[in-house]
Amino acid sequence: MKPRAYLTAFGLQWKIGLRYRIAVVAGLVAQMWFGAISLMAYAAVYHHAPDVGAPLTLRQAMTYTWLQQSLFTLLPLGCLPAVGDAARTGAIIYDLLRPVDLWNWWLSASLARLLGNAVPRAVLLACVAGPLAALAGLGAWSLAPPASPGAALLAAASFALGALLSATIVMLWNVMTARTLSPLGSYAIGTPLAVLLSGMLLPLPLYPEWARIVLVLQPFAGITDIPIRLYLGASLPGGPLGALGVQIFWLVAMTLGGRLWMRRIIDRLEVQGA
Amino acid sequence: MHNAKSRNASVSGLALYRRMAWASIVAQLRYPGTFFLQMTGNFVTTLLGFFGIWSLFQRFGSIGGWDLGAVAVLYGLVNVAFSVSETLGRGFEVFGGEYVRTGQFDRLLLRPRPTLLLLLGHELRLRPIGRFLQGAFVLGAGLWLAPHVSWSAVWLVPWAITGGAAMFLGVLIGQAALCFKTVEGLEVVNVLTYGGVEAGQYPLTMFSRWLRRFLTWGLPLAGVCYYPALAMLAHPDPLGMPLAFGMVSPAMGFVFLGLMIWVWRKGVASYVSSGS
Repeated sequence: MKPRAYLTAFGLQWKIGLRYRIAVVAGLVAQMWFGAISLMAYAAVYHHAPDVGAPLTLRQAMTYTWLQQSLFTLLPLGCLPAVGDAARTGAIIYDLLRPVDLWNWWLSASLARLLGNAVPRAVLLACVAGPLAALAGLGAWSLAPPASPGAALLAAASFALGALLSATIVMLWNVMTARTLSPLGSYAIGTPLAVLLSGMLLPLPLYPEWARIVLVLQPFAGITDIPIRLYLGASLPGGPLGALGVQIFWLVAMTLGGRLWMRRIIDRLEVQGA
Repeated sequence: MHNAKSRNASVSGLALYRRMAWASIVAQLRYPGTFFLQMTGNFVTTLLGFFGIWSLFQRFGSIGGWDLGAVAVLYGLVNVAFSVSETLGRGFEVFGGEYVRTGQFDRLLLRPRPTLLLLLGHELRLRPIGRFLQGAFVLGAGLWLAPHVSWSAVWLVPWAITGGAAMFLGVLIGQAALCFKTVEGLEVVNVLTYGGVEAGQYPLTMFSRWLRRFLTWGLPLAGVCYYPALAMLAHPDPLGMPLAFGMVSPAMGFVFLGLMIWVWRKGVASYVSSGS
Protein backbone atom coordinates (compact mmCIF):
# COMPACT_ATOMS: atom_id res chain seq x y z
CA MET A 1 0.00 0.00 0.00
CA LYS A 2 1.08 3.59 -0.50
CA PRO A 3 2.78 4.83 2.67
CA ARG A 4 1.95 8.39 1.57
CA ALA A 5 -1.65 8.09 2.70
CA TYR A 6 -0.53 7.16 6.20
CA LEU A 7 1.95 10.02 6.24
CA THR A 8 -0.91 12.38 5.37
CA ALA A 9 -3.01 11.02 8.22
CA PHE A 10 -0.02 11.49 10.50
CA GLY A 11 0.70 15.03 9.31
CA LEU A 12 -2.90 16.15 9.75
CA GLN A 13 -3.22 15.03 13.36
CA TRP A 14 0.27 16.29 14.17
CA LYS A 15 -0.73 19.78 13.02
CA ILE A 16 -3.96 19.64 15.02
CA GLY A 17 -1.90 18.84 18.12
CA LEU A 18 0.41 21.80 17.56
CA ARG A 19 -2.45 24.22 16.88
CA TYR A 20 -3.51 24.80 20.47
CA ARG A 21 -0.68 26.83 21.99
CA ILE A 22 -2.72 28.18 24.89
CA ALA A 23 -3.76 24.65 25.77
CA VAL A 24 -0.08 23.73 25.90
CA VAL A 25 0.63 26.49 28.42
CA ALA A 26 -2.50 25.59 30.41
CA GLY A 27 -1.38 21.97 30.45
CA LEU A 28 2.05 23.07 31.63
CA VAL A 29 0.59 24.89 34.63
CA ALA A 30 -1.55 21.87 35.53
CA GLN A 31 1.36 19.44 35.19
CA MET A 32 3.57 21.67 37.35
CA TRP A 33 0.88 21.80 40.03
CA PHE A 34 0.32 18.05 40.13
CA GLY A 35 4.07 17.48 39.94
CA ALA A 36 4.73 19.86 42.84
CA ILE A 37 2.10 18.20 45.06
CA SER A 38 3.52 14.74 44.36
CA LEU A 39 7.04 15.97 45.02
CA MET A 40 6.05 17.45 48.38
CA ALA A 41 4.32 14.18 49.29
CA TYR A 42 7.39 12.14 48.36
CA ALA A 43 9.69 14.53 50.23
CA ALA A 44 7.46 14.17 53.32
CA VAL A 45 7.44 10.36 53.27
CA TYR A 46 11.13 9.97 52.43
CA HIS A 47 12.28 12.39 55.13
CA HIS A 48 10.09 10.74 57.75
CA ALA A 49 11.38 7.25 56.99
CA PRO A 50 14.99 7.70 55.84
CA ASP A 51 16.05 4.06 56.25
CA VAL A 52 13.29 2.24 54.38
CA GLY A 53 15.61 1.52 51.44
CA ALA A 54 13.09 2.27 48.70
CA PRO A 55 13.98 1.07 45.18
CA LEU A 56 14.23 4.70 44.01
CA THR A 57 16.10 7.46 45.83
CA LEU A 58 14.13 10.64 46.53
CA ARG A 59 16.08 12.38 43.77
CA GLN A 60 15.19 9.60 41.32
CA ALA A 61 11.55 9.65 42.41
CA MET A 62 11.45 13.39 41.67
CA THR A 63 12.98 13.02 38.22
CA TYR A 64 10.60 10.12 37.56
CA THR A 65 7.65 12.32 38.52
CA TRP A 66 8.70 15.22 36.28
CA LEU A 67 9.24 12.96 33.26
CA GLN A 68 5.93 11.24 33.92
CA GLN A 69 4.12 14.58 34.20
CA SER A 70 5.72 15.91 31.03
CA LEU A 71 4.58 12.82 29.12
CA PHE A 72 1.01 12.81 30.44
CA THR A 73 -0.50 13.41 27.00
CA LEU A 74 1.46 10.49 25.57
CA LEU A 75 -0.68 8.08 27.60
CA PRO A 76 -3.50 6.17 25.86
CA LEU A 77 -6.29 7.84 27.87
CA GLY A 78 -9.01 7.04 25.33
CA CYS A 79 -9.78 6.68 21.65
CA LEU A 80 -8.70 9.11 18.94
CA PRO A 81 -11.32 11.93 19.07
CA ALA A 82 -11.75 11.79 15.29
CA VAL A 83 -12.70 8.11 15.52
CA GLY A 84 -15.06 8.86 18.40
CA ASP A 85 -16.84 11.53 16.36
CA ALA A 86 -16.95 9.25 13.32
CA ALA A 87 -18.50 6.43 15.35
CA ARG A 88 -21.08 8.73 16.92
CA THR A 89 -22.17 10.46 13.70
CA GLY A 90 -21.85 7.47 11.38
CA ALA A 91 -19.05 9.11 9.38
CA ILE A 92 -17.05 5.98 10.19
CA ILE A 93 -18.44 4.61 6.94
CA TYR A 94 -16.12 6.96 5.02
CA ASP A 95 -13.11 5.48 6.81
CA LEU A 96 -14.27 2.00 5.80
CA LEU A 97 -14.50 3.04 2.15
CA ARG A 98 -10.97 4.41 1.90
CA PRO A 99 -8.58 2.29 -0.20
CA VAL A 100 -6.14 2.01 2.69
CA ASP A 101 -5.47 -0.45 5.47
CA LEU A 102 -7.80 0.76 8.21
CA TRP A 103 -5.51 -0.31 11.05
CA ASN A 104 -2.49 1.59 9.69
CA TRP A 105 -4.65 4.58 8.78
CA TRP A 106 -6.01 4.99 12.30
CA LEU A 107 -2.67 4.02 13.85
CA SER A 108 -0.71 6.73 12.07
CA ALA A 109 -3.34 9.31 13.01
CA SER A 110 -3.34 8.11 16.64
CA LEU A 111 0.45 8.20 16.86
CA ALA A 112 0.57 11.71 15.41
CA ARG A 113 -2.09 12.91 17.81
CA LEU A 114 -0.16 11.56 20.81
CA LEU A 115 3.15 12.99 19.62
CA GLY A 116 1.70 16.33 18.52
CA ASN A 117 0.26 16.75 22.01
CA ALA A 118 3.14 15.31 23.98
CA VAL A 119 6.28 16.59 22.28
CA PRO A 120 5.79 20.36 22.75
CA ARG A 121 4.59 19.85 26.32
CA ALA A 122 7.42 17.51 27.19
CA VAL A 123 10.08 19.86 25.81
CA LEU A 124 8.59 22.86 27.65
CA LEU A 125 8.14 21.09 30.97
CA ALA A 126 11.58 19.50 30.76
CA CYS A 127 13.11 22.97 30.27
CA VAL A 128 11.15 24.46 33.15
CA ALA A 129 11.60 21.55 35.57
CA GLY A 130 15.22 20.90 34.55
CA PRO A 131 17.66 23.74 33.78
CA LEU A 132 15.32 26.62 34.74
CA ALA A 133 14.45 25.11 38.14
CA ALA A 134 18.15 24.45 38.79
CA LEU A 135 18.99 28.07 37.91
CA ALA A 136 16.23 29.31 40.23
CA GLY A 137 17.94 27.54 43.13
CA LEU A 138 15.48 24.62 43.21
CA GLY A 139 18.14 22.15 42.10
CA ALA A 140 17.14 19.57 44.71
CA TRP A 141 13.58 19.48 43.28
CA SER A 142 14.52 19.58 39.62
CA LEU A 143 14.59 17.10 36.77
CA ALA A 144 18.01 15.42 36.69
CA PRO A 145 19.85 14.64 33.41
CA PRO A 146 20.12 10.99 32.25
CA ALA A 147 22.29 8.72 34.39
CA SER A 148 24.90 8.20 31.63
CA PRO A 149 25.24 8.57 27.83
CA GLY A 150 24.46 4.85 27.51
CA ALA A 151 21.32 5.29 29.62
CA ALA A 152 20.30 8.22 27.40
CA LEU A 153 20.63 6.09 24.26
CA LEU A 154 18.69 3.17 25.71
CA ALA A 155 16.01 5.56 26.98
CA ALA A 156 15.68 7.24 23.57
CA ALA A 157 15.10 3.87 21.86
CA SER A 158 12.70 2.89 24.61
CA PHE A 159 10.72 6.15 24.45
CA ALA A 160 10.24 5.60 20.70
CA LEU A 161 8.92 2.08 21.33
CA GLY A 162 6.77 3.49 24.14
CA ALA A 163 5.11 6.02 21.83
CA LEU A 164 4.31 3.26 19.30
CA LEU A 165 3.00 1.04 22.09
CA SER A 166 0.75 3.83 23.32
CA ALA A 167 -0.64 4.40 19.81
CA THR A 168 -1.32 0.66 19.53
CA ILE A 169 -3.28 0.74 22.79
CA VAL A 170 -5.21 3.76 21.46
CA MET A 171 -6.06 1.53 18.48
CA LEU A 172 -7.70 -0.93 20.87
CA TRP A 173 -9.77 1.95 22.28
CA ASN A 174 -10.64 2.95 18.69
CA VAL A 175 -11.93 -0.52 17.92
CA MET A 176 -13.87 -0.54 21.18
CA THR A 177 -15.41 2.80 20.21
CA ALA A 178 -16.44 1.41 16.84
CA ARG A 179 -18.15 -1.37 18.78
CA THR A 180 -19.93 0.72 21.46
CA LEU A 181 -20.63 3.69 19.12
CA SER A 182 -19.59 6.23 21.75
CA PRO A 183 -16.10 7.42 22.72
CA LEU A 184 -17.01 7.95 26.37
CA GLY A 185 -16.64 4.32 27.39
CA SER A 186 -13.11 4.14 26.05
CA TYR A 187 -12.14 7.15 28.16
CA ALA A 188 -13.82 5.64 31.20
CA ILE A 189 -11.77 2.45 30.87
CA GLY A 190 -8.62 3.86 29.27
CA THR A 191 -7.91 6.74 31.64
CA PRO A 192 -7.82 4.80 34.92
CA LEU A 193 -5.87 1.92 33.40
CA ALA A 194 -3.30 4.20 31.79
CA VAL A 195 -2.90 6.47 34.80
CA LEU A 196 -2.40 3.59 37.22
CA LEU A 197 -0.44 1.10 35.15
CA SER A 198 1.94 3.51 33.43
CA GLY A 199 3.26 4.86 36.73
CA MET A 200 1.59 8.25 36.42
CA LEU A 201 -0.24 7.89 39.74
CA LEU A 202 2.74 6.55 41.67
CA PRO A 203 6.10 5.43 40.24
CA LEU A 204 5.70 1.70 39.49
CA PRO A 205 8.83 0.78 41.53
CA LEU A 206 7.22 2.23 44.67
CA TYR A 207 4.22 -0.14 44.66
CA PRO A 208 4.34 -3.04 47.15
CA GLU A 209 7.01 -5.66 46.47
CA TRP A 210 4.58 -8.46 45.54
CA ALA A 211 3.30 -6.48 42.58
CA ARG A 212 6.64 -5.43 41.10
CA ILE A 213 7.20 -8.18 38.52
CA VAL A 214 3.60 -8.12 37.29
CA LEU A 215 3.74 -4.33 37.00
CA VAL A 216 6.81 -4.43 34.73
CA LEU A 217 5.37 -7.20 32.56
CA GLN A 218 2.04 -5.51 31.80
CA PRO A 219 1.79 -3.53 28.54
CA PHE A 220 1.30 -0.05 30.03
CA ALA A 221 4.72 -0.19 31.74
CA GLY A 222 6.30 -0.04 28.29
CA ILE A 223 4.85 3.42 27.54
CA THR A 224 6.67 5.56 30.08
CA ASP A 225 7.81 3.53 33.09
CA ILE A 226 10.43 1.37 31.32
CA PRO A 227 11.89 4.31 29.33
CA ILE A 228 12.09 6.45 32.48
CA ARG A 229 13.80 3.71 34.47
CA LEU A 230 16.35 3.30 31.69
CA TYR A 231 16.86 7.08 31.76
CA LEU A 232 17.47 6.96 35.53
CA GLY A 233 19.74 3.95 35.24
CA ALA A 234 17.48 2.24 37.81
CA SER A 235 17.39 -1.53 38.07
CA LEU A 236 14.88 -3.44 35.96
CA PRO A 237 14.05 -7.13 36.34
CA GLY A 238 15.63 -8.81 33.29
CA GLY A 239 18.05 -5.95 32.61
CA PRO A 240 17.72 -3.18 30.01
CA LEU A 241 17.49 -5.57 27.05
CA GLY A 242 14.82 -7.64 28.75
CA ALA A 243 12.85 -4.43 29.29
CA LEU A 244 13.09 -3.50 25.60
CA GLY A 245 12.02 -7.08 24.86
CA VAL A 246 8.87 -6.61 26.96
CA GLN A 247 8.02 -3.50 24.94
CA ILE A 248 8.54 -5.28 21.61
CA PHE A 249 6.56 -8.31 22.76
CA TRP A 250 3.50 -6.21 23.62
CA LEU A 251 3.80 -4.20 20.45
CA VAL A 252 3.67 -7.37 18.33
CA ALA A 253 1.08 -9.15 20.45
CA MET A 254 -1.32 -6.23 20.58
CA THR A 255 -0.95 -5.46 16.89
CA LEU A 256 -1.82 -9.04 15.92
CA GLY A 257 -4.62 -9.38 18.48
CA GLY A 258 -5.98 -5.92 17.74
CA ARG A 259 -6.10 -6.49 14.00
CA LEU A 260 -8.06 -9.73 14.50
CA TRP A 261 -10.48 -8.03 16.87
CA MET A 262 -10.91 -5.10 14.49
CA ARG A 263 -11.76 -7.41 11.60
CA ARG A 264 -14.45 -9.10 13.71
CA ILE A 265 -15.93 -5.81 14.86
CA ILE A 266 -15.89 -4.22 11.40
CA ASP A 267 -17.53 -7.30 9.85
CA ARG A 268 -20.59 -6.94 12.03
CA LEU A 269 -20.52 -3.17 12.44
CA GLU A 270 -23.84 -1.36 12.54
CA VAL A 271 -23.42 2.26 11.51
CA GLN A 272 -25.66 4.79 13.18
CA GLY A 273 -26.52 8.28 12.05
CA ALA A 274 -27.59 9.74 8.76
CA MET B 1 -33.70 18.95 27.83
CA HIS B 2 -35.34 21.39 25.51
CA ASN B 3 -38.66 19.59 25.67
CA ALA B 4 -38.61 20.21 29.42
CA LYS B 5 -38.72 23.95 28.71
CA SER B 6 -41.64 25.25 30.61
CA ARG B 7 -44.83 24.87 28.64
CA ASN B 8 -46.51 26.31 31.65
CA ALA B 9 -45.06 29.68 32.58
CA SER B 10 -46.07 29.38 36.21
CA VAL B 11 -43.74 26.45 36.99
CA SER B 12 -41.66 27.27 40.06
CA GLY B 13 -37.88 27.29 39.89
CA LEU B 14 -37.56 24.09 41.89
CA ALA B 15 -40.16 22.23 39.84
CA LEU B 16 -38.43 23.36 36.67
CA TYR B 17 -35.10 22.11 38.00
CA ARG B 18 -36.70 18.76 38.85
CA ARG B 19 -37.95 18.40 35.29
CA MET B 20 -34.60 19.30 33.78
CA ALA B 21 -32.82 16.91 36.14
CA TRP B 22 -35.20 14.11 35.24
CA ALA B 23 -34.75 14.70 31.50
CA SER B 24 -31.00 14.62 32.00
CA ILE B 25 -31.12 11.33 33.92
CA VAL B 26 -33.22 9.71 31.21
CA ALA B 27 -30.80 10.99 28.56
CA GLN B 28 -27.79 9.55 30.38
CA LEU B 29 -29.43 6.14 30.62
CA ARG B 30 -30.11 6.13 26.87
CA TYR B 31 -26.78 4.39 26.17
CA PRO B 32 -26.75 1.90 29.06
CA GLY B 33 -23.51 0.16 28.01
CA THR B 34 -21.54 3.38 27.90
CA PHE B 35 -23.17 4.61 31.08
CA PHE B 36 -22.20 1.46 32.94
CA LEU B 37 -18.61 1.67 31.68
CA GLN B 38 -18.36 5.33 32.69
CA MET B 39 -19.69 4.70 36.14
CA THR B 40 -17.40 1.73 36.73
CA GLY B 41 -14.50 3.71 35.32
CA ASN B 42 -15.25 6.57 37.68
CA PHE B 43 -15.43 4.24 40.66
CA VAL B 44 -12.23 2.44 39.73
CA THR B 45 -10.22 5.57 38.80
CA THR B 46 -11.00 7.29 42.03
CA LEU B 47 -10.43 4.18 44.13
CA LEU B 48 -7.07 3.71 42.41
CA GLY B 49 -6.11 7.16 43.64
CA PHE B 50 -6.40 5.81 47.15
CA PHE B 51 -4.51 2.67 46.21
CA GLY B 52 -1.53 4.91 45.36
CA ILE B 53 -1.64 6.53 48.80
CA TRP B 54 -2.08 3.16 50.47
CA SER B 55 1.02 1.87 48.64
CA LEU B 56 3.04 4.78 50.03
CA PHE B 57 1.90 3.77 53.53
CA GLN B 58 2.85 0.15 52.86
CA ARG B 59 6.37 1.17 52.01
CA PHE B 60 7.04 4.15 54.27
CA GLY B 61 4.70 3.61 57.23
CA SER B 62 3.33 7.18 57.31
CA ILE B 63 2.98 10.35 55.28
CA GLY B 64 5.03 12.88 57.19
CA GLY B 65 3.98 11.30 60.50
CA TRP B 66 0.24 11.02 59.73
CA ASP B 67 -1.38 7.62 59.99
CA LEU B 68 -3.50 5.90 57.37
CA GLY B 69 -6.79 6.56 59.19
CA ALA B 70 -6.30 10.35 59.24
CA VAL B 71 -5.29 10.48 55.58
CA ALA B 72 -8.27 8.27 54.65
CA VAL B 73 -10.63 10.73 56.36
CA LEU B 74 -9.11 13.66 54.43
CA TYR B 75 -9.30 11.70 51.21
CA GLY B 76 -12.90 10.65 51.78
CA LEU B 77 -14.09 14.15 52.69
CA VAL B 78 -12.56 15.86 49.68
CA ASN B 79 -13.73 13.20 47.23
CA VAL B 80 -17.32 13.06 48.46
CA ALA B 81 -17.55 16.86 48.44
CA PHE B 82 -16.12 17.09 44.94
CA SER B 83 -18.42 14.38 43.60
CA VAL B 84 -21.49 16.32 44.78
CA SER B 85 -20.34 19.47 43.01
CA GLU B 86 -19.44 17.46 39.90
CA THR B 87 -22.96 16.03 39.81
CA LEU B 88 -24.60 19.46 40.08
CA GLY B 89 -22.19 21.71 38.25
CA ARG B 90 -21.67 20.12 34.82
CA GLY B 91 -23.30 23.10 33.10
CA PHE B 92 -20.61 25.41 34.46
CA GLU B 93 -17.83 23.06 33.45
CA VAL B 94 -18.86 23.09 29.78
CA PHE B 95 -20.10 26.68 29.86
CA GLY B 96 -17.34 28.23 27.71
CA GLY B 97 -17.48 25.77 24.85
CA GLU B 98 -21.21 25.07 24.78
CA TYR B 99 -22.78 28.40 25.78
CA VAL B 100 -20.45 31.36 25.29
CA ARG B 101 -18.59 30.37 22.13
CA THR B 102 -21.78 29.24 20.40
CA GLY B 103 -23.86 32.17 21.61
CA GLN B 104 -26.32 29.75 23.27
CA PHE B 105 -26.12 31.82 26.43
CA ASP B 106 -28.25 34.51 24.75
CA ARG B 107 -31.13 32.04 24.78
CA LEU B 108 -30.74 31.40 28.49
CA LEU B 109 -30.87 35.14 29.12
CA LEU B 110 -34.25 35.29 27.38
CA ARG B 111 -35.81 32.77 29.75
CA PRO B 112 -37.61 34.16 32.78
CA ARG B 113 -35.50 32.22 35.28
CA PRO B 114 -32.11 32.90 36.95
CA THR B 115 -29.20 31.86 34.74
CA LEU B 116 -27.56 29.94 37.59
CA LEU B 117 -30.66 27.76 37.94
CA LEU B 118 -30.81 27.09 34.21
CA LEU B 119 -27.16 26.10 34.13
CA LEU B 120 -27.57 23.85 37.16
CA GLY B 121 -30.27 22.15 35.09
CA HIS B 122 -27.91 21.65 32.14
CA GLU B 123 -27.18 18.16 33.40
CA LEU B 124 -27.56 16.25 36.63
CA ARG B 125 -24.58 14.05 36.10
CA LEU B 126 -24.83 10.52 37.40
CA ARG B 127 -21.30 9.42 36.68
CA PRO B 128 -19.75 10.96 39.84
CA ILE B 129 -21.79 8.50 41.92
CA GLY B 130 -18.76 6.26 41.47
CA ARG B 131 -16.47 8.81 43.13
CA PHE B 132 -19.08 9.49 45.81
CA LEU B 133 -19.41 5.82 46.77
CA GLN B 134 -15.71 5.14 46.97
CA GLY B 135 -15.07 8.39 48.85
CA ALA B 136 -17.77 7.49 51.36
CA PHE B 137 -16.28 4.02 51.69
CA VAL B 138 -12.75 5.33 52.33
CA LEU B 139 -14.12 7.96 54.74
CA GLY B 140 -15.94 5.27 56.72
CA ALA B 141 -12.87 3.06 56.81
CA GLY B 142 -10.74 6.01 57.94
CA LEU B 143 -13.09 6.86 60.81
CA TRP B 144 -13.11 3.21 61.81
CA LEU B 145 -9.29 2.98 61.71
CA ALA B 146 -8.60 6.24 63.53
CA PRO B 147 -7.95 5.84 67.26
CA HIS B 148 -9.97 8.75 68.71
CA VAL B 149 -13.03 9.75 66.75
CA SER B 150 -15.02 12.37 68.64
CA TRP B 151 -18.84 12.39 68.68
CA SER B 152 -18.78 15.67 66.85
CA ALA B 153 -18.04 13.62 63.70
CA VAL B 154 -21.77 12.81 63.49
CA TRP B 155 -22.62 16.36 62.48
CA LEU B 156 -19.16 17.47 61.30
CA VAL B 157 -19.05 14.99 58.42
CA PRO B 158 -22.19 16.31 56.67
CA TRP B 159 -21.25 19.90 57.55
CA ALA B 160 -17.75 19.58 56.10
CA ILE B 161 -19.09 17.83 52.99
CA THR B 162 -21.69 20.51 52.24
CA GLY B 163 -19.06 23.20 52.83
CA GLY B 164 -16.69 21.40 50.49
CA ALA B 165 -19.35 20.87 47.83
CA ALA B 166 -20.22 24.59 48.05
CA MET B 167 -16.55 25.48 47.61
CA PHE B 168 -16.07 23.26 44.57
CA LEU B 169 -19.34 24.50 43.06
CA GLY B 170 -17.94 27.99 43.62
CA VAL B 171 -14.82 27.05 41.66
CA LEU B 172 -16.98 25.77 38.79
CA ILE B 173 -19.10 28.94 38.79
CA GLY B 174 -15.93 31.07 38.89
CA GLN B 175 -14.53 29.04 36.01
CA ALA B 176 -17.71 29.68 34.02
CA ALA B 177 -17.63 33.41 34.85
CA LEU B 178 -14.06 33.51 33.56
CA CYS B 179 -15.39 32.31 30.19
CA PHE B 180 -17.12 35.67 29.72
CA LYS B 181 -13.59 37.04 29.30
CA THR B 182 -11.83 34.09 27.65
CA VAL B 183 -14.75 32.64 25.61
CA GLU B 184 -13.23 29.15 25.57
CA GLY B 185 -13.01 27.32 28.89
CA LEU B 186 -9.54 27.35 30.37
CA GLU B 187 -8.25 24.00 31.49
CA VAL B 188 -5.95 25.74 33.96
CA VAL B 189 -8.91 25.91 36.31
CA ASN B 190 -8.63 22.12 36.61
CA VAL B 191 -5.77 22.92 38.95
CA LEU B 192 -8.40 24.09 41.44
CA THR B 193 -10.89 21.24 40.88
CA TYR B 194 -9.00 18.01 40.21
CA GLY B 195 -5.83 19.58 41.56
CA GLY B 196 -7.75 20.66 44.65
CA VAL B 197 -8.92 17.10 45.22
CA GLU B 198 -5.34 15.93 44.82
CA ALA B 199 -4.03 18.50 47.30
CA GLY B 200 -6.91 18.05 49.75
CA GLN B 201 -6.23 14.38 50.30
CA TYR B 202 -2.84 15.09 51.87
CA PRO B 203 -2.32 16.66 55.33
CA LEU B 204 -1.79 20.41 55.06
CA THR B 205 1.44 20.26 57.08
CA MET B 206 3.13 18.49 54.18
CA PHE B 207 3.09 21.57 51.94
CA SER B 208 5.38 24.58 51.78
CA ARG B 209 4.19 27.71 53.53
CA TRP B 210 3.05 29.61 50.41
CA LEU B 211 0.89 26.66 49.38
CA ARG B 212 -0.55 26.25 52.89
CA ARG B 213 -1.57 29.90 52.91
CA PHE B 214 -3.18 29.63 49.49
CA LEU B 215 -5.08 26.47 50.43
CA THR B 216 -6.41 28.07 53.60
CA TRP B 217 -7.21 31.67 52.66
CA GLY B 218 -7.28 31.67 48.84
CA LEU B 219 -9.11 28.47 48.03
CA PRO B 220 -10.46 27.45 51.46
CA LEU B 221 -9.71 23.77 50.97
CA ALA B 222 -8.19 23.39 54.43
CA GLY B 223 -11.30 24.96 55.96
CA VAL B 224 -13.63 22.34 54.47
CA CYS B 225 -11.33 19.36 54.76
CA TYR B 226 -8.19 19.51 56.90
CA TYR B 227 -9.49 21.45 59.93
CA PRO B 228 -12.85 19.62 60.24
CA ALA B 229 -10.94 16.33 59.96
CA LEU B 230 -8.68 17.38 62.83
CA ALA B 231 -11.73 18.23 64.92
CA MET B 232 -13.37 14.85 64.15
CA LEU B 233 -10.21 12.95 65.02
CA ALA B 234 -9.38 15.10 68.07
CA HIS B 235 -5.93 15.47 66.53
CA PRO B 236 -4.15 18.65 67.67
CA ASP B 237 -2.98 20.82 64.77
CA PRO B 238 0.83 20.77 64.46
CA LEU B 239 0.56 24.31 63.09
CA GLY B 240 -1.18 25.53 66.24
CA MET B 241 -4.73 26.31 65.09
CA PRO B 242 -7.26 25.56 67.92
CA LEU B 243 -9.43 22.47 67.31
CA ALA B 244 -12.67 24.47 67.54
CA PHE B 245 -11.72 26.23 64.30
CA GLY B 246 -12.59 23.03 62.43
CA MET B 247 -16.19 23.23 63.67
CA VAL B 248 -16.84 26.59 62.01
CA SER B 249 -14.35 26.54 59.15
CA PRO B 250 -16.62 24.69 56.64
CA ALA B 251 -18.54 27.97 56.47
CA MET B 252 -15.59 29.28 54.47
CA GLY B 253 -16.79 27.09 51.59
CA PHE B 254 -20.10 28.98 51.54
CA VAL B 255 -18.32 32.33 51.74
CA PHE B 256 -16.26 31.29 48.72
CA LEU B 257 -19.41 30.20 46.86
CA GLY B 258 -21.05 33.56 47.66
CA LEU B 259 -18.02 35.39 46.35
CA MET B 260 -18.08 33.42 43.12
CA ILE B 261 -21.82 34.05 42.65
CA TRP B 262 -21.06 37.76 43.00
CA VAL B 263 -18.33 37.41 40.33
CA TRP B 264 -20.83 35.56 38.14
CA ARG B 265 -23.39 38.39 38.43
CA LYS B 266 -20.72 40.90 37.44
CA GLY B 267 -19.83 38.69 34.48
CA VAL B 268 -23.44 38.38 33.29
CA ALA B 269 -23.92 42.14 33.60
CA SER B 270 -20.96 42.80 31.30
CA TYR B 271 -21.73 39.93 28.89
CA VAL B 272 -21.47 40.72 25.19
CA SER B 273 -22.70 37.96 22.91
CA SER B 274 -20.21 36.21 20.67
CA GLY B 275 -22.70 34.10 18.74
CA SER B 276 -24.30 34.71 15.39
